[in-house]
Amino acid sequence: MRRKPFVATILLVLVCALALAGAALAGTGGFAPPTPRSPNAQRTNDAYYLILAFTGAIFLLVETALVVFVIRFRSRGRPRTVEGPQIRGHTRLEIIWTAIPVVILAAITGFVFYKLPGIKNVPAANAAGGRIEIGVEAHQFYWQFRYPDGSTSVDELTVPVDRNVHLTLTSPDVAHSWWVPSLGGKIDVIPGRTNHTWFRAQQNGVYRIRCAELCGIQHAVMLGFVRVVPQSDYASFLGARHAKTADLARETYQGVCAKCHGFKGEGGIGPKLAGSAGLNDRTALAKTIRNGIGMMPPVGRTWDSRQLNAVITYLQKHVASSAGGAAGGG
Amino acid sequence: MAVKGLSGEWPRWMTRGTGREARKQGAPISRHTGATEDAASRRVTPVRRPGSLSGQALDGEAYPAQPQWTRGRVAGWLTTVDHKRIGILYILTSLGFFAAGGIIALLMRSQLATPNEHFLTKDSYNGALTIHGTTMVFLVVVPILAGFGNFLVPLMIGARDMAFPRLNALSYWLFLFGGVILYASFFAKHGPARCGWTCYAPLSEIAYSPGHGVDLWILSLHLLTLASLAGAINFLVTIHNLRARGMGWMRLPLFVWTIEIYALLLVLVLPALSAGLTLLLLDRQTGTHFFVPQHGGSAVLWQHVFWFFGHPEVYIMVLPAMGIVSEIIPVFARKPIFGYKAVAFSTVAIAFLSMLVWAHHMFAVGLPWGLNAFFMVSSMAIAVPTGVKIFNWLATTWRGNLIFDPPMLFALGFIALFTMGGLSGIFLAAFPVDWQVTDTYYVVAHLHYVLFGGSMFAIFAGLYYWWPKMFGRLLDGRLGKAHFWLMFVGFNMTFLPQHMLGLMGMERRIYTYREHGLWEWYNLVSSIGSGIMAVGMLVFLANVVVTSRRGVRAGNDPWLADTLEWYTTSPPPAGNFDSLPYITSARPLRDLRRRLQDANAL
Repeated sequence: MRRKPFVATILLVLVCALALAGAALAGTGGFAPPTPRSPNAQRTNDAYYLILAFTGAIFLLVETALVVFVIRFRSRGRPRTVEGPQIRGHTRLEIIWTAIPVVILAAITGFVFYKLPGIKNVPAANAAGGRIEIGVEAHQFYWQFRYPDGSTSVDELTVPVDRNVHLTLTSPDVAHSWWVPSLGGKIDVIPGRTNHTWFRAQQNGVYRIRCAELCGIQHAVMLGFVRVVPQSDYASFLGARHAKTADLARETYQGVCAKCHGFKGEGGIGPKLAGSAGLNDRTALAKTIRNGIGMMPPVGRTWDSRQLNAVITYLQKHVASSAGGAAGGG
Repeated sequence: MAVKGLSGEWPRWMTRGTGREARKQGAPISRHTGATEDAASRRVTPVRRPGSLSGQALDGEAYPAQPQWTRGRVAGWLTTVDHKRIGILYILTSLGFFAAGGIIALLMRSQLATPNEHFLTKDSYNGALTIHGTTMVFLVVVPILAGFGNFLVPLMIGARDMAFPRLNALSYWLFLFGGVILYASFFAKHGPARCGWTCYAPLSEIAYSPGHGVDLWILSLHLLTLASLAGAINFLVTIHNLRARGMGWMRLPLFVWTIEIYALLLVLVLPALSAGLTLLLLDRQTGTHFFVPQHGGSAVLWQHVFWFFGHPEVYIMVLPAMGIVSEIIPVFARKPIFGYKAVAFSTVAIAFLSMLVWAHHMFAVGLPWGLNAFFMVSSMAIAVPTGVKIFNWLATTWRGNLIFDPPMLFALGFIALFTMGGLSGIFLAAFPVDWQVTDTYYVVAHLHYVLFGGSMFAIFAGLYYWWPKMFGRLLDGRLGKAHFWLMFVGFNMTFLPQHMLGLMGMERRIYTYREHGLWEWYNLVSSIGSGIMAVGMLVFLANVVVTSRRGVRAGNDPWLADTLEWYTTSPPPAGNFDSLPYITSARPLRDLRRRLQDANAL
């Protein structure tokens, strides 16, 4: 029994060592939010580290005191009848350990308010090249993006590097939550509300989009990417979107249909599409996509006819004829 | 109907042997309520068979008998209105639900142990997380604390029973049926509710959650809120009216203080949940649109209503746990609690503030920043009284004679883990940081540090501490220590890595993930930890089984404790006490021991 406190100490050391090893292994290793790639994410991280410093100090203080007291004042075989000094309190101490946390919390609050404008306010449009307005629609279970020139993409948002991107987020069905960990915090996407957030990606690359609010059966795969590309690539991306619909059709199938019907139409939550005769009737198919049927949500409620036609063509061309079913729809 | 008590001294039936003799005759268990401080206002309230009570009638054979059929072993428990039996029923039932919720958790951890797992996916997983959360909150922590309150409050304040024993029994049965209905929903059309324990609208609306899972979830919660509400009123009336002579508010055991506040919070916030549930039910069944934005309703309204209840609910689950810790630490440190008033009043402060912080669960909703700022400051403020409690417990151990029996181990474990949970809460209170960590595994880790490392560890401390009082036998100390260390190590293995997972980007309530590397490792460690905790719970179960027949018999007061429940036998007789001393401090039993010592010395 007397050795227990030491076991606790050893455990604590072990946990710390493991934690440090983890941190050394991979960047922040989960001990801080992912490396920020946008000014708002950077400022959030500053606030995180400040809070970490204070809470870390308090954590060490309390846990050390606990371990020290446990070792120092353990019974050592004294009988239960032996009492400690009957100390009932100490007003000055009580005031001190009420006041100090107040001061610390005030400091944290002050710092957060100091950083807040840089996190929540979309920078003014006078930054280099103005800002890019993107409309984001969160659906069960995909993200649809509308670019300033009216073109669309599904689950993949392509934006130029070092430009302020202002997102206007809406949902036609249930609550979702927009989150790109490296590019800033979450904003919920709630039906009946229009929310806003922004980022300015400082590095080319691909950043994961996650839906952070339980939105139904396929919440776990409501994922996407922000592709941050040089300005010239962005322009050519938009040009390509205008010229042909093949990419949009593929994205739409993979982002919208495949999550329930399988990547080759082999079926999953939804019925098998490969070889299905229902795919031949364009009108009926369009109606199903627009209005939903049975358990299928009205996924295409907000699509324009270009996107709708493109995906129907894709379904007929690539899915109806596909052998399907052979491979699992990873 | 009330009968005027005998004036002046204790009534005869209280000072003469009523306890065991009465029980042998199968007498109704709760007949009377105890005396209050003021003799003139003392009332003796007959609870069963009104009219048959008088000082004489209660002596010997003339005592009214229970109907024959209620005397059987099983029937006795089914028809009981005794607060101790109801308390034990509450606790055992909650432990049963704890096992069920725990098994569901193990299934979920198995699914998440490795990436792209196919063990429990999609709707099954979403159903599991919903039932796990609802079970642990509504069927485990709240009712088990009600069980402790039921068993202990009358004993601690020197009453013979709760103020309304039959209402008390009603609470228990409503709770049991509420739980049964929740689990019956596994057999409903389309399975159980799958919208998380928060069941955010519009996902919980009929269009997105067809079938009867959500309807049964609502019915279950309706029953549970009724159970809690009736129980809360009962606690308030009992604590306000049935305290022993001399037991003023500053001599009230700290656990009773927390039950008082627990009950008060329940009365204040449960109606909000009931109203919200009713509106959701109307939406689903009668075509109203309270939470359907497409038809003019508001999805955010549900979140406000739910969290207006939901955040105080956290303190409903934590405050009595803190009360348990405040009882145990002084006894096993052989010292009085450091700063009784500070601990008692910080409970009140936490409860007050807890009603003002609900929207910190909604920082990402996009509320006006002024509102976010208000809820940030109020949430930060709640850390102050919480810190006061932790510092006072630490100060209580200072220079004590610390005895590491299982109750003390779990109580110290509570301090260690709850501190962690409290501090990670400060990140969540700062709303820009919350935007990063909310709805991720960071929150999952935080809430488990508060509710599992916090409440459940305190509950285990309480089980080891009061088990001898409930059943007359001590739980085995060595098995108890094994249980503690398995739980402590398993708990930290399970939930510490979840902080990192959340910060790395693992969102809540996902049934699968594709990432490898650290994600995989943290998840695997977490799943292994949950298995270690499961082993710990098996050790606890073994302890209960082994000691049920062969355990060391506890005397009245095996721990040399401070409060009145240790004044009577273990287990206490019907009616609890033959007589009671006048209460002169918050530690009446220590006073008695000292008086005895002085008498012997003479």
